[in-house]
Amino acid sequence: MEIDDALISRLEKLARLKLDASERADLRNDLNSMLEMIEKLGSAELEGVVPLEYPGKHQAIPRKDEAKGMIPTGEALKNAPEADFPFFQVPKVIKK
Amino acid sequence: MRVHMKYETVIGLEVHVQLNTRSKAFCGDATDFGASPNSQVSPISLAHPGTLPRMNTRQIDSAIKLGLALGSQFPEEIRFDRKNYFYTDLPKGYQITQDAKPICQGGSLPIRLKEGYRDIRIHHVHMEEDAGKSIHDQKEAHSLVDLNRAGVPLLEIVTEPDLRSGAEVDAFMTAVRQLVRYLDISDGHMEQGSLRCDVNVSVRLKGESVYGERCEIKNLNSMKFARQAIKHEFKRQTELLENGQKVSSQTRQFHPENGTTSPLRSKEDAPDYRYFPEPDMPPVPLEMEKIKSLAKEAGTLPWEYYNTFHDTYGLSAEAARILSETKETADHFLRLVQQSENKQKQIAKTGSNILIQHILPRFPLLEGFPLKPAQTAQFCQILVAKIIPTRAAIDVLLPAWIKAPESDPEQLIAELRLNKQTDTDELRRALTAIVQAHPKEKAIYKGGKRNLLGFFMGQALRKVGKHHDPGEVRKLLVELLEA
Repeated sequence: MEIDDALISRLEKLARLKLDASERADLRNDLNSMLEMIEKLGSAELEGVVPLEYPGKHQAIPRKDEAKGMIPTGEALKNAPEADFPFFQVPKVIKK
Repeated sequence: MRVHMKYETVIGLEVHVQLNTRSKAFCGDATDFGASPNSQVSPISLAHPGTLPRMNTRQIDSAIKLGLALGSQFPEEIRFDRKNYFYTDLPKGYQITQDAKPICQGGSLPIRLKEGYRDIRIHHVHMEEDAGKSIHDQKEAHSLVDLNRAGVPLLEIVTEPDLRSGAEVDAFMTAVRQLVRYLDISDGHMEQGSLRCDVNVSVRLKGESVYGERCEIKNLNSMKFARQAIKHEFKRQTELLENGQKVSSQTRQFHPENGTTSPLRSKEDAPDYRYFPEPDMPPVPLEMEKIKSLAKEAGTLPWEYYNTFHDTYGLSAEAARILSETKETADHFLRLVQQSENKQKQIAKTGSNILIQHILPRFPLLEGFPLKPAQTAQFCQILVAKIIPTRAAIDVLLPAWIKAPESDPEQLIAELRLNKQTDTDELRRALTAIVQAHPKEKAIYKGGKRNLLGFFMGQALRKVGKHHDPGEVRKLLVELLEA
């Protein structure tokens, strides 16, 4: 697989980014060298090896359905770049 | 033949059911509806660094209960995946959902149509979490975000494309609402967003076995909108086909103001969600024991009640439908009938009449109805055995008993002097007085206008109906009028 201009445009759209020509070229090079590295993994001998999704052996432990651990609204808004109590505030999502 | 008649609509649904858990899917935030904005949040739902999700036992149990009712297959383990997308009401940047191995696979849900029940096949049911809420219309340059709903547990029911009209979609949503209430896993309120559906619509020539290209219409939060959207899509798609054009696969949005849809994005623009196994929650084995114990707890299902009422007790389809509508009504009726060792069919008929005509109109869904099934059964036995006249039982005894549910009915009958009186002399005296008070009517009756008997019966029952059987009154009245 090769990262071409069309794919860069698609990724640009999905990531909601606007890239200029030099950024596109840089990103294309970077991604292509990453792909090359990943493709090397393809040469590993994996016959009979079960895919490993979780390295640890532990299982998740479900919890009881209890309401607890909430924080006050004021505290929740503290970390937000912008807020209008009691809401988080973000740049307009829908343009009218 | 109208052009549209050649085509049929093919519909598949994705129904989101908001569960009635106390806490969110992966953390302990409360889930109360209508709480003040951002008051039910925590570092986990706000996606602060270093926080980890933990599954909610009740979400898993709710999914299994639904799967058991639908007759689904269960996987050996419960696992979650990440669905990545960027939106401000999703603080983590991904939704925790189930992609590769949903908790319920296959099954079916019977829906009630005019012609009877029909099974709609279920593709799967998966667990996921809801997103927060964005408010776009309050400020010029900003959107406001409330994260109370972010992380609230959902089940998504995905059907096979088995539905053919808006009416069938209606019947399906009604069946889902009834089932989730029976199972006590959701309040099923569509108007509060507890049930939402995305509709996939395509059209094809009748008799065709291949499906057409489909369009998905998102987030229809009322049945009226769903029906309008389906109608509009059917018209739009058949017109395209008739004009030799193709329907292109799209996600479309519905406009409530004029009942139309417009494209939101095409298949090519479909977001790439980059699903992968949720690394923060390793799979948990789904124990057979757990499924067995939930199966043991499971009560009777709506369509099972319906069949018993209709087939075993001989109720009409309409009566069986009304009485199986909620678990409370169905349970009450079934226990009422089972209280009676003999004459069950007769008790069932009387019981259904009493409930439908005299009790449910006053106590919708039996909410606040103070009598226990054993007491309603006792009341039906009084009627069936004709211990007191029917009118007296319904008009006097029943309201009195409802007012004082602790009372003994026999004592009430005595106190209210409802006992049937066997004193025919007294009855004769009362009826004679009525006949004598209306000499003109008596003459007309004797002259051949026999339907005037109705007039005399009305007068008589008002006076003596509490204590005497209408049959007895009628017999004596005729005798007095003929004299």
